[in-house]
Amino acid sequence: MMGLVLGIETSCDETAASVVDEDFHVLSSVIESSIDQHRAFGGVVPELAGRAHVATIGPVVRRALLDAGLDPLNPTILGIAVTSGPGLIGSLLVGLSAAKAYALAWGVPFVGVNHLEGHLFAPLLERSDLEWPLMTLLVSGGHSLIVLQSGPGEHEVLGETIDDAAGEAYDKVARWLGLGYPGGPEIDHLAQSGVAGSLKLPISMTGDDYDLSFSGLKTAVVRATEKQRDLPIADVAASFQAAVTEQLLRKLRGALEHHPVKGLALAGGVAANSALRAGVTDLAKEFGVVAHLPSMAMCTDNAAMIAAAGTYRLRHDGPSSFDLSATPNWQLADVS
Amino acid sequence: MNIVAIETATPACAVGVRTTSGVEVTRVVDDGRRHTEALAGALKTLLDEVELEPRDVNRVVVDRGPGLFTGLRVGIATAIAFSQALGCDLVGVTSLELLAGGAFDSGVRGTLVACVDARRGEIFAQSFLLEDAVKALDSARVSTAREIVTMWPANATPAAFTGDGVERYRNEFAHLALATIVDQVVPSVHAGLSLGTVRSPDEAVSPLYLREADAVANFTTRERPQ
Ligand SMILES: [Zn+2]
Repeated sequence: MMGLVLGIETSCDETAASVVDEDFHVLSSVIESSIDQHRAFGGVVPELAGRAHVATIGPVVRRALLDAGLDPLNPTILGIAVTSGPGLIGSLLVGLSAAKAYALAWGVPFVGVNHLEGHLFAPLLERSDLEWPLMTLLVSGGHSLIVLQSGPGEHEVLGETIDDAAGEAYDKVARWLGLGYPGGPEIDHLAQSGVAGSLKLPISMTGDDYDLSFSGLKTAVVRATEKQRDLPIADVAASFQAAVTEQLLRKLRGALEHHPVKGLALAGGVAANSALRAGVTDLAKEFGVVAHLPSMAMCTDNAAMIAAAGTYRLRHDGPSSFDLSATPNWQLADVS
Repeated sequence: MNIVAIETATPACAVGVRTTSGVEVTRVVDDGRRHTEALAGALKTLLDEVELEPRDVNRVVVDRGPGLFTGLRVGIATAIAFSQALGCDLVGVTSLELLAGGAFDSGVRGTLVACVDARRGEIFAQSFLLEDAVKALDSARVSTAREIVTMWPANATPAAFTGDGVERYRNEFAHLALATIVDQVVPSVHAGLSLGTVRSPDEAVSPLYLREADAVANFTTRERPQ
């Protein structure tokens, strides 16, 4: 086996490791999440996440190597790709430190990868017939971006959220409604039995550009539910979900009108949302482009996408040096 | 045995190596909390200097704290990954016993209190008796310099105090009559190499935090929102 890359991802609450080959076939993908420790707090507690990563990093990497049929003491890999930002600093440091140590021990190169660029490589792991350019909506608990990709590793950020991320808005509204964390799946589930539009919500449009905004929507939900106290919670969920989806789709439509592409891709945790998947499918049909909806496994943070992006970065930029720092606020626009 | 030591419990990052043939090199490579940036490169340089390949390393010893949480995680994640990748032994030691060992090596005898700066006005402390060897008198705890000074028995025998926790609160410790301050801010890597050589290896090594995560501490003392 040639050209294998070991990916390591610890930017938030998932400790993940994966082995991917040069054609982006996933040989193994192991994910340990500390989410159960965070639920009571309604969000990821950085210190708890950092502690969990130290406990799981070794076993997770070992499992990923074994699952890929590699000798954990002498894996025949080309290199190691590790998320070095953006993310929680205390979490990033665990993966980055471990990656450097594995690289030193095995005498292989390593490269620091931008987590968001990792998400952009996810579609490549699921289909080999991808045609460029691609319009990608990357939405998660920490990020919301519209990205024009002209090829692997070549991307232009057209717009991003000016305040909260889409997933963050879901979490905040879920908390307000007394639902569990994370809020996305809870609201999505409730929305199925609710009537969208029951709650009058503004669609916040930030202007002619492709930027997004969700903090006003959360405030609007709070205000509107205080006025309409008897409204079933399912109707609130459905109305909120429809408003989020509407904003995302309007911005995407604008981007598609100005930038002809071959495909429309969804990425990030919110890509699991049923309303968004349906909306993106319709939008792709309308523009006559291919819709790339990630599998559920590829929506969540994983290390296969980091290995894929790392394969590209190793080839194009070469390895990182041992003094590489973690960059908690690393913007996708600054990756080149 | 070829043994490598990793020390990241304080703002400093220190490494050491001792070879089967008895060559030893120890070094503080950074003192500005840049553990992540400094550690792996320093290990490589050190191994190159003593002409060892990573594969020649038989054992890794790491300071598991108490100390700076992020520093500990960098050091321990490095130690776990390095030892696992090589299939070699891993040994965890504490920052307080390394301070005691360092004081012992510099000739200090009698009662010694090792203190690591715990930030937020607190220190991690442990008492030792240094005679033929280093013996712990109690277990590591979170305290304050003032608490240690005021609780110190008036008729106590002379004692020595060491660590960056003492350095930080030197004025408080100066109130103690018959106290000597042993200047030492970085837990001793040399002591780490010695302890790491004689201890039996650990199944797994985890940080010794001695403190809950803030959110957990706040959460349990606060009423849950409705
Ligand atoms: Zn992500």
